[in-house]
Amino acid sequence: MRQEISFVEIAVIGGGPAGLCAALEAANAGARVTLLDRQDRLGGQLIKQTHRFFGSQSHRASERGINIAAELTGQVMSHPHIEALTGATVFGFYEDGVLGVEREGKIFFIKPARVIVATGAAEKTLAFPNNDLPGIYGAGAVQTLVNVYGVLPGKRVLMVGAGNIGVIVTYQLLQAGMEVAAIVEAAPKIGAYWVHAAKVRRAGVPIYTSHTIGRACGTRQVEGAVIWQIDEQGQPVPGTEKDLVVDTICLSVGLSPLVELLAQAGCRLVYVPQLGGHVPLRDASLQTTVPGVYVAGDAAGVEEASAAMMEGALAGLHAAYSLGYNQTGYEARRAELQQQLDSLRSGPVGEKIRSGLSRAMIG
Amino acid sequence: MLAVDGVPTPEDLAQKIPPPERLARRPVVIAECFQPIPCDPCSHACPRQAIGPFKDINEIPQVDYEKCNGCGQCITRCPGLALFVVDLTYGENEALIKLPYEFLPLPEEGQEVAGVNRAGEKVCRARVVKVVKTEKMDKTAVIWLAVPKDLAMEVRHFAIK
Amino acid sequence: MEDKTIICRCEDVTLEEIRKAIAEGARTLDEIKRLKRCGMGPCQGRTCRPLIAGEIARMTGQNPAELALPTFRPPVVPLKLGTLARGGVPDEQA
Repeated sequence: MRQEISFVEIAVIGGGPAGLCAALEAANAGARVTLLDRQDRLGGQLIKQTHRFFGSQSHRASERGINIAAELTGQVMSHPHIEALTGATVFGFYEDGVLGVEREGKIFFIKPARVIVATGAAEKTLAFPNNDLPGIYGAGAVQTLVNVYGVLPGKRVLMVGAGNIGVIVTYQLLQAGMEVAAIVEAAPKIGAYWVHAAKVRRAGVPIYTSHTIGRACGTRQVEGAVIWQIDEQGQPVPGTEKDLVVDTICLSVGLSPLVELLAQAGCRLVYVPQLGGHVPLRDASLQTTVPGVYVAGDAAGVEEASAAMMEGALAGLHAAYSLGYNQTGYEARRAELQQQLDSLRSGPVGEKIRSGLSRAMIG
Repeated sequence: MLAVDGVPTPEDLAQKIPPPERLARRPVVIAECFQPIPCDPCSHACPRQAIGPFKDINEIPQVDYEKCNGCGQCITRCPGLALFVVDLTYGENEALIKLPYEFLPLPEEGQEVAGVNRAGEKVCRARVVKVVKTEKMDKTAVIWLAVPKDLAMEVRHFAIK
Repeated sequence: MEDKTIICRCEDVTLEEIRKAIAEGARTLDEIKRLKRCGMGPCQGRTCRPLIAGEIARMTGQNPAELALPTFRPPVVPLKLGTLARGGVPDEQA
């Protein structure tokens, strides 16, 4: 069978916050960009973030993620240098830098001069008895169900995990009219920003730190959950069991970077728990150990969307520069973007990311 | 404790509450933000620069009580919904709280609701004085709530009965 | 109903089965994959991989950082056989 390969300048894989910003930055520098996203609409996880973002006022803080998604998508769709392909799944990164893409039941291959991998992350799950009962979801999946499709998964939910995603999704489930029985968090402290925690707490949701889910209850679907306190070794503390009547359990226990394509490309990966798992080694330009292959956003290490947008822009800028674009404006723009990214990571809550990055950075 | 259960301690709050003589004079914003996080919209929100400017995006907001006149324009700019205006001059026995609210249905003006504290407990009857919601506020309403004066530093939410 | 803990939802593999495989000598994610099919289902291991890695590390005392990732072959997501068979050139032109 005949198989044609088309050549493009820069391919961006993934149209979430990192990918959209990467495509725009590279295209604004003058490069031709092909943006590929497997979903039917661009925006990635931004399209369900109905809350206001933190970050810097000069970079969309206090705007809602859904509005940022609409704005960036609009810019990408109308940019003369960007070809945005939705419903396009990159299924393989082959030798010689060829990408295999499936779209509308057809397969095609492209060979980009530069690739920016912005594939995001997947939700982690948890092992506990009866964790396969219908009614147990990832918190991110429920956020999609509720905020994108307008479907409630049940009436009363237990949230497992008090990081930003767990607490934000809890708040949004309350907004959507669900009851939240409790949030449990295995760590002794709430991982979410405390203002988020205060918001759900005053709306009546108890938060139990040093607690975990012991098991789900039910026969054909979730009818309840047992939670208990855990000691420093993670062992249940006798006598602390609580039975909760819930029909839904949401797991918000972290994300894993999606690095399969980077692994196929031959990028060296390193295990960095602070960044969510295996991530590619990269230099300050976001280039991996494979020349011409860049990474940005959660695929480079799980972080906030505000940081993903900055990383995407930096990767797009560097990829375009390496092809000869924007040689005069490059340095000023690079310094500006890098400064903004560093400032997002500079405070005490950025400590985990900074220590993780120190193990993933090269050069 | 905030980090453990999401409720600030009296010691946490003591740093955020203006002196009694200031509270007695005119309304003022209480910035219930206790953690240095990368976030700065409040520092750009005040037309009188009562908050900010920040040197560092991770700064915790400090309110200049002399500059703040309690207008409440900052309330909807805070992504953490942590800004509240308290007016102890509102009435003989009542204080006015202006708080951010993102639930539907919105209450009616004049409606009686339950005042709720930071732990989610109903602590009093409260009256909705005004519901402010404009296009610019981007779906975060500000509710003016009349509460018993002695609970002005307790009520931070409400429940529609 | 008897309690059971599922590690791989796609292939319906329990924690007990994973522990048995490790006790019988499996030491890598690829070995578990070949023995139990974890990672061969629709999600291609995205859900179960961190859990299995954690279990191998815990039971064998290995550092999770030292555990090799399984090999990722194309396609990284499920494709329809019809799509693969048709290839890149529309039928009418083939």
